[in-house]
Amino acid sequence: MGDEPITELHTITTPSQPRARGEAQVTAKARDGASVIASLRQAGSSKLVFPRGGAGLQAVLVNTAGGITGGDRFALSATAGPDTQLTLTTQAAERAYGAQPGETGRVTNRLRVSEGAQLNWLPQETILFENSCVRRDMKVDLHETARFMFVESLVLGRVAMGETLHNAAFHDRVEIRRAGALIFADAMALSGDVSAQMAQAAGGAGALASVILAAPNAEALLTPVRAVLNSTSGASLLAPDLLHLRLLAPDGFGLRQTLLPALRLLSHGPLPRTWMI
Amino acid sequence: MAAPTATTIPTSTGRSPMTTDATLTLAQWFSPAYPVGAFAYSHGLETAIEGGLVHDAESLRAWITPVLTHGSGRNDALFLAAAFHGDPAQADDLCRAFASSAERVMETTQQGAAFAATTRAIWPIDLPDYAYPVAVGRAAHLLDLPLELTTQYYLQAFASTLVSVGIRLIPLGQTQGHALIHALSPLCKTIATDTAQGDLDALSGTAFLADIHAMQHETLYSRTFRT
Repeated sequence: MGDEPITELHTITTPSQPRARGEAQVTAKARDGASVIASLRQAGSSKLVFPRGGAGLQAVLVNTAGGITGGDRFALSATAGPDTQLTLTTQAAERAYGAQPGETGRVTNRLRVSEGAQLNWLPQETILFENSCVRRDMKVDLHETARFMFVESLVLGRVAMGETLHNAAFHDRVEIRRAGALIFADAMALSGDVSAQMAQAAGGAGALASVILAAPNAEALLTPVRAVLNSTSGASLLAPDLLHLRLLAPDGFGLRQTLLPALRLLSHGPLPRTWMI
Repeated sequence: MAAPTATTIPTSTGRSPMTTDATLTLAQWFSPAYPVGAFAYSHGLETAIEGGLVHDAESLRAWITPVLTHGSGRNDALFLAAAFHGDPAQADDLCRAFASSAERVMETTQQGAAFAATTRAIWPIDLPDYAYPVAVGRAAHLLDLPLELTTQYYLQAFASTLVSVGIRLIPLGQTQGHALIHALSPLCKTIATDTAQGDLDALSGTAFLADIHAMQHETLYSRTFRT
């Protein structure tokens, strides 16, 4: 999972390069007390693999295009059927590569969590490269009795290589509904000199994460999770069954130092093995 | 339509009708005497002052500016304009869901309810207890007030509330504080213009540190402000 040499990056961003398309749909159903695949569809650059072991059904999303660049389209739809447990993660950090001017990569995610079901959305971090341009949209529909855990983390440039973002665009929007009513919405637009924007509004952080837990035990977890957070992160209970965490860190490594203990505490089971590398 | 007794005068840009009644109504709504209780909320600023990050006029300006341009200021302006132009109930749902922490929910809910209760008691309008910017946008629409000026007043009042927190807690001299409010004024005008369409697809919250300060305020040991 080393960083691609610059020559490859140029190949990816040349206009003649075909745009990547990826589409994946998965539904989990309960059978004999276990969660199994009810339906699966995958096309283009999106693949789902299902490692054995662990609680419930685990689906690991693989982007065979190796990243996102301008003009790419990725769509994922996942449904946890009644009384199932479905965990979605990614095989590696998602890389948003430099895009041609005016070209936007689009990522659309739709999650549905049915009666008595639990869905964990635990992708690894998204890394924005200089000149990247991505628009991402997530919509979640929860049944009244559903449990849902969500994390999205963002690393702004390859900090270890001394890269800072002076020209990038990242638009993200998340909407979560329970029984049809909007219970959480968030949106961020980072554009242009992202480093300067973060210096002004985030103490110069190079990585950030959002965590949502929508579950009956959210309130009981507020105090314990606060105990593992640091001075650049916070937790708040938006409703008795809705917990929101926001974390800032200098880089991706620093982010995981705080994020992993928090996720272990909040998750209703072990974290996917991809997170343990 | 303007109230029958009002005198309509053109604005310098000639874009929106403005009445002498309108400016006086806005001056009343955003005066500290209007019982909204804005003085009780620090938006998380108290945490930043307590932690030493904000300690003078310059660091106060550095905390407030991104909140206005990349955080609640700009987003509230969008909610206000969306409620002014369109369906206030829809804007209200999104505004509440968009609050990133419990105290932010309280801040917008309680100020909104207080504003709505007072305003519907004085003016003959049907104004439910919406979140604060939504209640202001709806009331401005019902009373035919000019949108951009309403938003400017709203943002200037928000900036003044935050500067007042600094004056009390840092502490900062009154004159220094008011120089800062004056310096932030053009920003309020720019944001009001940029958000006038009320396009809720343009919502974006990236004042991340201030949002975290608001979360951390919930466990601050000694608190002067409710948020």
